[in-house]
Amino acid sequence: MDPTTAMYVAQGIHGLAYGMILFLVASGLNIIFGMMGILNLAHASFFMLSAYFGFQFLSMTGNFWVALLLAPVVTAFFGILLERFLLRKMHALGHMGELILTVGVSLVILAGVKIFWGTESLPLKIPPFLRGLVMIAGMDYPVYRLFVIGMALVVLAIMALLIYKTRLGKIVRAAVSDADMVNALGINMPLVFMFVFGVGTWLAGVAGVAIAPILLVFPGLADQIGMDAFVVVVTGGLGSLSGAFIVSIIFGLLSSYGVQFLSQLAPLLMFLFMAIVLAIKPTGFFGERE
Amino acid sequence: MMNKKAQWILWVGLIVILALYPKLFGIYYTNLFVTFAVFAIYSVSFNLLLGYTGLLSFGHAMFFGAGGYGTALALKHIQGLPLLPAVLIGLLSAVVLALILCPFVVRVSGTAFAMLHLAFGQLMHMLAYKLRGITGGEDGIGGFPIPPFSIPGVVSINMRAPENFYYFAIVVLGVSLWIMWFFTKTPFGQIQVGVRDNAKRIDYLGFKVSQTKAVVYVVAGAFAGVAGSIYALFQNLISSGALDIFTSFAPITMTMVGGIGSFLGPVWGAVIIQIIEELTTRYTEQVELVVGLILILIIMFAPAGLIGLIKSLKQRWFPSSAPRVNLEKVS
Repeated sequence: MDPTTAMYVAQGIHGLAYGMILFLVASGLNIIFGMMGILNLAHASFFMLSAYFGFQFLSMTGNFWVALLLAPVVTAFFGILLERFLLRKMHALGHMGELILTVGVSLVILAGVKIFWGTESLPLKIPPFLRGLVMIAGMDYPVYRLFVIGMALVVLAIMALLIYKTRLGKIVRAAVSDADMVNALGINMPLVFMFVFGVGTWLAGVAGVAIAPILLVFPGLADQIGMDAFVVVVTGGLGSLSGAFIVSIIFGLLSSYGVQFLSQLAPLLMFLFMAIVLAIKPTGFFGERE
Repeated sequence: MMNKKAQWILWVGLIVILALYPKLFGIYYTNLFVTFAVFAIYSVSFNLLLGYTGLLSFGHAMFFGAGGYGTALALKHIQGLPLLPAVLIGLLSAVVLALILCPFVVRVSGTAFAMLHLAFGQLMHMLAYKLRGITGGEDGIGGFPIPPFSIPGVVSINMRAPENFYYFAIVVLGVSLWIMWFFTKTPFGQIQVGVRDNAKRIDYLGFKVSQTKAVVYVVAGAFAGVAGSIYALFQNLISSGALDIFTSFAPITMTMVGGIGSFLGPVWGAVIIQIIEELTTRYTEQVELVVGLILILIIMFAPAGLIGLIKSLKQRWFPSSAPRVNLEKVS
C-alpha cells in the first residue's frame, strides 16, 4: 500500500477515535439535558476529574484496568452528589441558575485538581500490549486507538441495551417526553434523575480515562474537550443522541484531516461548521427544542 | 423617601470623594479604581441583557475584546488619532460585531442563547489567538501610542499620567452609566422588561420582540466595547486573553453578586469582586476556587445578590416603617 493511502487511513483512525471520545462525552451531556433539561456546564470538568482519578488509581495500583473501571465510578459518585445536594435545590432562577451553578462547580473542580495534582502534564501509562501498531491486511494500525473505538462501541451497546431493553430504560424514555406524568404515575422521579445524572457523568468519566493516555492529563483538558463536546451537542441538537453521534464523527474526522491540511486553522473549522449550521437552523441538526 | 436636599448632599459628597480619591489613596488604588470602572461599565452592559431582557450570554467578552482590539488597532495604524475617536472606533467595532450576530441570536433565548454565545465567543477567542499577523495572538498588541485628551486650542491633557487617566475613566463611567440608566427608563426600556417577563404577551400587544432584543443586544455590545476600549488604553495592551472564557464569566459573577434585578447591582458586584480578588491574590493563587465558590454560594443562598439580600433583610427587620432608600428607586 502506498504511503499516501496509509496516511489517510491513519488519520481516519485518529479522527474516528477522537470522534468516539467526543460522542461519549456529548452523549452524557445529552442524556442529562434530554431528561432533566439541565445543561451541565461542569460536564467536561467531570471528564477531566476522571482522567485525574485514573492517573491516581494507576499510580496506586499499577493496573490500567482497575483505573479504567474505578475512576469513572468515583466520578459518577461525585456527579450524583452534585445532583442530590446542589442542583436539586436549584429553583431560584430556573435554567439560568443551573447554568451558573454548574459554571461555579466547574471552576471549583479546576481549582481542586490544580491543588491536588499541580499544573504539569501527567502521563497515564497503558499496558504493553495496547501500545504500538498492529498489522491488519497489510496496514499498520495504532492499537490503542482501535481499542478506544472498540470500547466506545461496547459502552454504546450497553447503553442501548439499558435504554431499549430494560424497565428502567422504559422509564427513562418516558421521562424524556414527560417527566411530570411519569412522576404522577408513582415512579420515584428524583431517584431516576439522580441515576441518570450518575450515568451521564459516568460516560464522561469513561471518556476521560480513555483519552488520558493519548493527550496526557493536565488542567486544560476540560476546556479542550469540553468546548468540542458542547459544540457537538449544540450543533447536533440539544437532547438528540443520533445528532450527537453524527456530528461527533464529523468533527473527529474534520479535526484530524484538518490538522493534516490546514494545521493552523484546524480548530476554527469546527466552529465555522457550527456557525453555519446554527445560522440555518438555530436548534441544531436534529434538535427540536431550545 | 429621601428628600431633595439630602440627595444633593449625597451627590456632592460623592463627587468630592471621587475628585480627591487619587490624593487620598495613592497611585495603586487609583489604578485599581480604573479597573473597577472598566468592569462596572462592562457588567452593567451585561445586565442590560441578563437582568432587563432575560438573556444569559456566555460570550459577552466578544464585545469587550472587539472594543479593545478596535481601539488598539486604530491607534497602532492611524498616526495622530485623538483619544475620543479612538474610543469611538472601539465602540463602533463592538456595534458592528453585534449587528452581524444579532440576526442569528435574536431568534433564540434561554439555554440556546447562552450556548450560542459560548460558541461564538470561543470562535472569536480562537480567531484572535490564531491570527497572529493582525492581533498578535497571545502576546497581543501593546505599546501603541496613548493620545492626550485634547480640545484643539483649549486644552491638552496627558493621558499617560495615571491620575489624569483616572479622571477620564470616571467621566466615561459616569456618562456610560447615565446613558444606560436613561435607556432602561425610556418606554422602550419597559418593553424590554416586558420581553423578559412575557415575550408572547408583548408580541400580542403589537410590539416587536425580535427587534427589541436586537436593539438591546447592540446597546449592550456597544457599552461592553467602550469598557474594552478603556481597558486597552489603560493597560496599553490588548491580547487574546481579553476574549477568553474568564472575561465572559466576570460580568456574570459581578451581576449575580451585586443583584440581578437592579440597575446598580452589577456596580456593587464589581466593587465586591474587586475587593475579594484583591484580598485573595494576596494570600492564594486560587482565584478560580474563590470565584467558583462565590458563584455557588450566591446562587444557592442569595439568588437576588447583595441588593436582594439587603432588601429582604430590611423587610424582615423593619417590616413597614423601612425608609425606602435610593437603591429602591433606581432598581
